Amino acid sequence: MAGAYDIEAVRRKYVGMETVPTRGRYPVEHDPIRRHCHMVEDTNPLFLDPEYAGKTPWGSVICPPSGWLAMYFASFGPWPPVFEPLVPVVPTPGKRIVNMNQEVEWFDAIRVGDHLSVKRRIADVYQKPISLDQEAVWIVSESIISNQRGEVVCVVRNTLLFHRSPEEVAAAEQRDT
Amino acid sequence: MKRPQPYWEDVQVGDDLPGFELEINAKRVFLQISGSQDWYPVHHDPEFAREAGHQDVFMNTGLTQAALVRVVTDWMGDEGFLRKFYFEMRRQHRPGDVMACKGRVADKYVQDARHFVECEVWAENEREGVTTPGRAWVILPSREEAA
Repeated sequence: MAGAYDIEAVRRKYVGMETVPTRGRYPVEHDPIRRHCHMVEDTNPLFLDPEYAGKTPWGSVICPPSGWLAMYFASFGPWPPVFEPLVPVVPTPGKRIVNMNQEVEWFDAIRVGDHLSVKRRIADVYQKPISLDQEAVWIVSESIISNQRGEVVCVVRNTLLFHRSPEEVAAAEQRDT
Repeated sequence: MKRPQPYWEDVQVGDDLPGFELEINAKRVFLQISGSQDWYPVHHDPEFAREAGHQDVFMNTGLTQAALVRVVTDWMGDEGFLRKFYFEMRRQHRPGDVMACKGRVADKYVQDARHFVECEVWAENEREGVTTPGRAWVILPSREEAA
């Protein structure tokens, strides 16, 4: 692979690329919130109990402020999923993925019944070696999530690492020698 | 019964946030898939994970973020608002680990008339130490506003 992957050409072509906004198939629902809470034993009644949440300043059940859950309702809740198209668009030497970091900015709460949309943008692409793969590629994407009124509720900035498996690295090294 | 509500004036830099522990086991792996709907096999298929160069399956972004966010939302009360959250997945939580999720108040200030508290949050286990450092920017109600 050495010499075959032109990171500068990839950057010129893909950095700044945006997807058209896509809308989650279903509105925000109680049960995915319950399952999300269940996986970490979160019993917060603001997220789970309509009667309790209705008496708080929020007036109804809200989502835990997790960028992952917002993305779920905005994009990969639908079936067939619409999450994948952005990430594979950027060519990378390896297809193994590790999520490295995430930043989420919140501007409002997400309520049950909201209907979310997301527009995604590739903010950066660069190469930085890791112990598994000297040609690992890092992709920074932004997901701008809006509600049914067009109000941006959160922005998720995510850094994904794409690497080759040890077998793929060994095969490439053999080819190059 | 209403949950306890911290006010900005009552929070001190250095205060610990009440944390919690999660056992990472087969049940947690299934809960992770159910709760996140993340079907990437590196998080549930040991053979796939090892073939990708990892020692075993490891917990995904959805579960990790949910756990660290819970550290904050358990503490900030119904009127707190998580304005920004950042975390890095440096090391892994695997079956057999106990994932301890913790937090501490790092700073407090008023900005644009809003009362911010910055918290360090992190997950750790006995095998790796701190795996997932993060930071949360929380807006809390103030007693002045409530008066």
